[in-house]
Formats: sequence, structure tokens, C-alpha cells
Amino acid sequence: MNREKESSEIPQNGIIGSIDLKSDESIVDLTDKIHQLPCCIKYNGPCSVSHYFKPKQTGVDVEGLSVEEACFRGRKLQGTKITLPQGYSGFVLGKKKIAGKRKSEGVSEENSNHWEMRASFQSIDYWNHDDVPSQSDAFYRCLHWLPAANALHKPVSASDLTHASTLFGVKID
Amino acid sequence: MGSEAAPPSLPEWTSEPCMMGIDEAGRGPVLGPMVYGCLYCSISYKDTLSSLKFADSKTLKEEKREELFENLKSNVSIGWAVDIIDPRELSAKMLKKTKINLNEISHESASGLVARVLDMGVLLTEVYVDTVGDPEKYRIKLSERYPSVKFVVAKKADSLYPVVSGASIVAKVTRDQAVLNWVLDETAENMHKKFGSGYPGDPATKAWLDDHKHSVFGFPTLVRFSWGTCTPYFKKLAEVLWESDEVDEEGSSSGNRRQLKLTSVGITGYKRKSEEIQSSGKGRCKFFETRKLEQLTRF
Repeated sequence: MNREKESSEIPQNGIIGSIDLKSDESIVDLTDKIHQLPCCIKYNGPCSVSHYFKPKQTGVDVEGLSVEEACFRGRKLQGTKITLPQGYSGFVLGKKKIAGKRKSEGVSEENSNHWEMRASFQSIDYWNHDDVPSQSDAFYRCLHWLPAANALHKPVSASDLTHASTLFGVKID
Repeated sequence: MGSEAAPPSLPEWTSEPCMMGIDEAGRGPVLGPMVYGCLYCSISYKDTLSSLKFADSKTLKEEKREELFENLKSNVSIGWAVDIIDPRELSAKMLKKTKINLNEISHESASGLVARVLDMGVLLTEVYVDTVGDPEKYRIKLSERYPSVKFVVAKKADSLYPVVSGASIVAKVTRDQAVLNWVLDETAENMHKKFGSGYPGDPATKAWLDDHKHSVFGFPTLVRFSWGTCTPYFKKLAEVLWESDEVDEEGSSSGNRRQLKLTSVGITGYKRKSEEIQSSGKGRCKFFETRKLEQLTRF
């Protein structure tokens, strides 16, 4: 656990962060422009992606996934588009600009844990090197967490409890 | 893989015993396709073929090569075919997780031409193949695949056998035209097509590479990324690490290999100390472990 001191509000046994998801209409929509590549590119900054990265539909379906093809640095990539499920969005976050007052307290943007939304998206194209995309890809399976989390955190009603008690033969008073 | 072949209606001479030559163009260049070409005719046409003054394409001027290609295309006693191997395919195969070397790609292409001509119904009995690699191994490989054909595999076959010289013209002219008419996939501004010969030593080719390098994408896909010529360029561009290129940890005698961490879901640029170690979700329950989902308190 990271115990770096950030501001006086921080409890001893944890860290506090914030994410500001502003609902400004000017937010950039990057749907169809988010790609997860099977490599680590040691570069941060703007890049003319659409001039160089030209995914093509192959017309082939594997396990119900429509396969796309592209290349990057000479490697053949095969991928597919995942549309985020209803009720979910993807966000590009950036460090929140720190107001002048807090700067004087020695808090730099670098170690702050306060974020704001820079762009949002509704789909991700994820790519495999050589392999066709499959429902058993770890990245694809990550989405399973969403319904699982829903089921785990859904409020339980009294009738659910009664139902469960009859299911398991346990009587709840 | 593009391909082009003579018209499908077969002339009568193809049912006589035939000979064929196979040669390649564009093996060395750092950019553009590699082309395999073949030329075939009946063995009874052999002497006439020798009189057509086909010579190794490299010794001929460009216009002369083109003229000879036009002549042989209109010659009803000659058949020909080409296999154009796209630079994207060359790069992709040579950089696959299990890499395929250029010799294998070459052999498959030549072998594919033999299969194609045989499938058309041409009675091939003798095939002459030019090679840069070991001729005997290559000959055995081809002979095993096509037992009805007698193969002659030789270095410099393009200057020894007129039928291979003819094939070299087919290949060379096709390659030159493919490069000349190349449509770059990339749409960035200030791109030009002064490729030069494509050979790494050609100043025009060097200048083109310099003009078209890109910090993230490397080069346009016309370039063969697997070529040694590219390596010094890549050192100056943004480094790219691939999962398939496993990194040996210092003192790897323990067999401990670090796998690159590339699969965590967080698509953030934040540099963690463990940046290069794969996200595993280890220590969490199976559900998370198999999905490589780890918990982040900071990104």
C-alpha cells in the first residue's frame, strides 16, 4: 500500500484519490479510436495514428467475433472491436490541475492522485500478435468482471432473501 | 500474395514434356515486394528459346528488359506466372512469434509456382531453379514434393539456363512495376515515392528511409521491418517491446524469465516500477488470475 503523503486529509492506512468525470459536452469522444496493442510503446505524446494505423475488416468471424487485421512495426495484428456494455463507458484520465493554494503546500501534480476526464469512449479494439482474437483471450474475459461485479453488489431485497432461504433450506427469522 | 498468370485456355504444346525456369527479383531490397517469376515452354522449343537472347535480367538495361517481357508475353509458345510477396507479408512472417526465415518464404513461393503450373495441366518434366542457399537441400525438398519433375537447382542459374534468364526477366520487370505503381497505405503528408532501387546501399533509398521514418510507427508498410537495415533506425525511434520477445533477466541461469507486462487493463501511461513485469493477478482468486486482473490503488 502506498503511504506517500499527499495532503492532510489522507488517512494513515490508505490513500485518497478522486476522479472528476465532468459531463461537459466538449469532452472528446474517442469511440472507435481506442486500440489495445500487444506491445509496449515507450512513447507518450501525440501521434498521427490514423495516417499510419489502418485496420481492415477481414470478413471472417471467429467465435462470433468479427476479425480485423492491421500491422504495426512489421508485425501482423489480428483483433476485434469490443463495444462496452450498456451502462459502461471508457475514460481517458489526466492529472487534475492543482489550484495555486495547494502547490504552496508542496503537493506537485506528479504525485497527486486526483484525476479528471479528458476523453471518453464506448469501444476498444484489442489486438493480438499473429493470433486470431478469441473469447478465451484474457483481455476479452476481463469484461466478465462487469456482470460478476453487478451480481455481487446488487442490493438484496427481502424477497431475494426469502427465495434464497427456500433454495438452501435455511430459515431466516 | 498477389498473382497473375497466363490465360487459362491451355495451348496444345503444354501436353508435351515441358521445361520451366524459376527466378526471383527483389530479395535484397529493404522495401517493396519480393517477386518469384517462372517461364515455361515445351522442351522441343528449347533451341528457339535460346535464340531469343534472354540474358540474366541484371545484365540488361531496363528498357531492354521491358521489351523482352512484352515479347515473351505475346509469344504463344511460352507461358509464365508470378508470385508477388507483399512487404507486409515478408515483415509479418519474419517477425512472427515463431519466425519464418527468408529462405523458407522463398522456397514456398517457388514451390507454389510449380504447383500452380502443374495444376493448370502443364506437363512439367524439368524445372530449373536459381538459388542463393544450399542447392542440394533445396533440390531434395522440391523433388520430394513433386516426384514427377526433374529439378536442377543451381546458383547463378539465371545466367546458365535461358529458361531461367527468361524467368528472371518476368520477375524483375514485375517487381519494378510493382514498386513504381506502389500506392502507399499511409496518408501522412509530405510522403514521396523516390524509393530508389530499394537496396540498402542506394543513396536514394537511404534518403527515402530518412524522409519517412516515424517515431512510433517506424516506417510505412512498404518497408521490410525485419531487415537489418532498419535496426539502426529503430534504435533512434520510440522503443517497442513485444510479448513474444521475452527479456532475459540478468543471470537467467535460474530459468527465471521476465515476461513483458502488456496485458493489464489500465491503459495508462503511468510508469510503475513493475512496468515490464506481466500483470498476473497472482495471489487473487482464480477468476482474477485467469483474466490477469490486478487491483490498482494508483495508476
